[in-house]
Amino acid sequence: MTGSVHRGARGRAGSPWASPWVIVPVAVGLVVAAVLVAAGNPSGLRFTVPLATAVAAAGVGAGIVALLVLLLRRAVRRAGEVGAASARQEEKAAHHRFLARLDHELKNPLTAIHAAAASVSSTSLADGSGPGSPGSTGAVHLSPVAVIDAQAARMGRLVGDLRKISSLDSQEIEQEPVDVADLTAEVVAALHEELAVTRPARAGTVPGALSDVSVAFPRVPWPLPPVRGDVDLLFVALYNIVSNAVKFSADGAPIEVRGFEEEGAVVVEVADSGAGIPADELSLVWDELARGSNTLGVPGSGLGLATVHAIVRRHGGQAMLTSRLGHGTSVRLRLPTAQPG
Amino acid sequence: MTGRPTVLLVDDEEAITAALAPFLERSGFEVRVAEDGQAALETLDLWHADVVVSDVMMPRVDGRELVRRLRTRDDWTPVVLLTQVGESFERSAALDEGADDYLNKPFNPQELAARIRAVLRRRAPGGEKPLSTAERLVSGDLVVDRSARRVFLAGSEVVLTPRASVLLDYLMAHPGELHTRDRLLQALWGFDLVPSTRAVDHRVAEIRRVLRDDAGAPRFVETVPNLGYRFCGQVRRG
Repeated sequence: MTGSVHRGARGRAGSPWASPWVIVPVAVGLVVAAVLVAAGNPSGLRFTVPLATAVAAAGVGAGIVALLVLLLRRAVRRAGEVGAASARQEEKAAHHRFLARLDHELKNPLTAIHAAAASVSSTSLADGSGPGSPGSTGAVHLSPVAVIDAQAARMGRLVGDLRKISSLDSQEIEQEPVDVADLTAEVVAALHEELAVTRPARAGTVPGALSDVSVAFPRVPWPLPPVRGDVDLLFVALYNIVSNAVKFSADGAPIEVRGFEEEGAVVVEVADSGAGIPADELSLVWDELARGSNTLGVPGSGLGLATVHAIVRRHGGQAMLTSRLGHGTSVRLRLPTAQPG
Repeated sequence: MTGRPTVLLVDDEEAITAALAPFLERSGFEVRVAEDGQAALETLDLWHADVVVSDVMMPRVDGRELVRRLRTRDDWTPVVLLTQVGESFERSAALDEGADDYLNKPFNPQELAARIRAVLRRRAPGGEKPLSTAERLVSGDLVVDRSARRVFLAGSEVVLTPRASVLLDYLMAHPGELHTRDRLLQALWGFDLVPSTRAVDHRVAEIRRVLRDDAGAPRFVETVPNLGYRFCGQVRRG
C-alpha cells in the first residue's frame, strides 16, 4: 500500500493530429481518390469537379471537422483541470490564511497567560513557596501555576509550528548546494547524541544506541550529486524521517538508510521493520496533526511528517511512504539535484 | 526617583500589560504602560525611559513607526520589539529599522527581563547611537555593510550564505555579549522546528572559514565552552 504526495504530471493526452478520428477520414478519402485516379472514371458520369478530387476533399474535410471537435473537447477538459487546480490552490491559500489568523489571534492571549503565570509565581517565590516543591516521594510536584505556564507554552509551540509549516510554501529559503550523504551522517550522529540523553539504557542494548541503523550511500562510480536547497530545513526533514523510524522500531531492530540517484534527483530512503501504518490511514500520513491509531502511548505532535512534506515540496521534490502494518515502513524523499552553474 | 531602571511597556492588549507590568516591577524595573505608539511618544515627552518594550501591531502608531519616529527625533532609547512575525527575514528587518532586540510572542517573561537587562548593559553611554543602528560595522580589517548585506575582509569582498551573514551581523552588533545557541537559533532562524543547535555551529564554522578566523585564537567569533558564542573583536561604526 502506498500513501504518496507525489504530484506527477497528469498523463498527457496524445496530440489530436494523431487521433484516428482525423487520420482515418483523411486517409480513406486520399486512398479512394487515388484508386479512382488509377482506375479512371468507371461510371462514365460527368462531374464539374473530378470525382477523385471531390472524394479527397470530402476525406480531408471530415478530418478537419474531427480535428476541430477533438480540439474543442480538449479545451473544455483543460479548462476543467485548470479550474480544479485553481480550486485546490484557493483551498490551500484559505488553509494558510486560517492558520496565520489562528496563530496571530492566540499569540496575545498566550503571552498574557505566560505573563500572569510568571507574575503569580514570582509572588509565590517571594513568599517562599516556589512554583515546584519537592513532595514526600522526592519527586518535584508541579504547581498549578507551573502547569498553566507549561501548557500555554505547549499550545504556543503547536500553533506556531502549524503556522510555520504552512508558511514554508511562501517563505524565502536558501538555495545552496547540499551534500545529502554528509547531511544524513550528521542526522544519524545527532540522533545518537540525543538518544544518549533521552533514552535510558535497556537490557541488551548499549545505552543510547540507536536501533541497528545502517547507512549506505554510493561512492562508486561516483558519489551522489549535491541537491540545491536549505541545509537546515533538509536536516529537519531527514531528522524527522530517521527519528520516526527509530521511534516506531523495537530496540536493536534494523533500520536502513540508502541514497541513490534517479533521473535528475537524489532519493533518500529510510526503511524500518517497525509497527507500520494501518492501510486505511496511509492517505492521511502527511496531514497536519495526523497520528496513527496505533501510535497511542508514543509521544509526538502529529506534525513531523507534515513538516517533512512541506520542506520537500518547497524544494521541488516529492515524499513517498509505503507501509505494511506489522512489517514496517519505508519513506522516500526525492530531491532535485543542483543544476550546475 | 527609585534608582531602578525605567521601562516603558507599550501594548494595546490590556491583558498583556496588566500581567507583564507587575512581573517587570517585581523583577526590579520601574514600569509605565502606554496603549500604543502615539501614547508612548507622549509619555516619553514627559518621562525618561531607559528601555522601551513595544508590541508591533497597534492602532494609531505601530511599533515600527514608533522606532522610526524616536530615531528621527534623535532619540536613541533602546527598543525591544515584541514581534508577531515568525520569519527571520522580517526580524532582521526589525533590527534594520533601529530596534535593539526583539522577542517573538508568545515569549517567556523571564526571557524578556533578561533581554532588557542585556540591552541596559550594552547601552551606549551618553545616549549615543547603539551599534545596532549602524549602517556599517567595522572590526579590524572586517567590514560589514549591513544595508547592502556585503562583507569585506582586508579590502576584498567575501561571500557568506545568507544565514551566516545574518548571524555575523547579529553577533557583531552585540559585541562582547554571550549568546546561547538556543537563543541564536530562535532569534535568527525563526523556526524552532530545528531539533538541534548544530545549525548554529555550522554557520559559525562557515564564518570562521570565510573570515580565516582561528577558533583557538579568535579575532572575531569566540566559542564560550558549553554555553554559546561571543563576538570578541572591538566593533565600531563604519
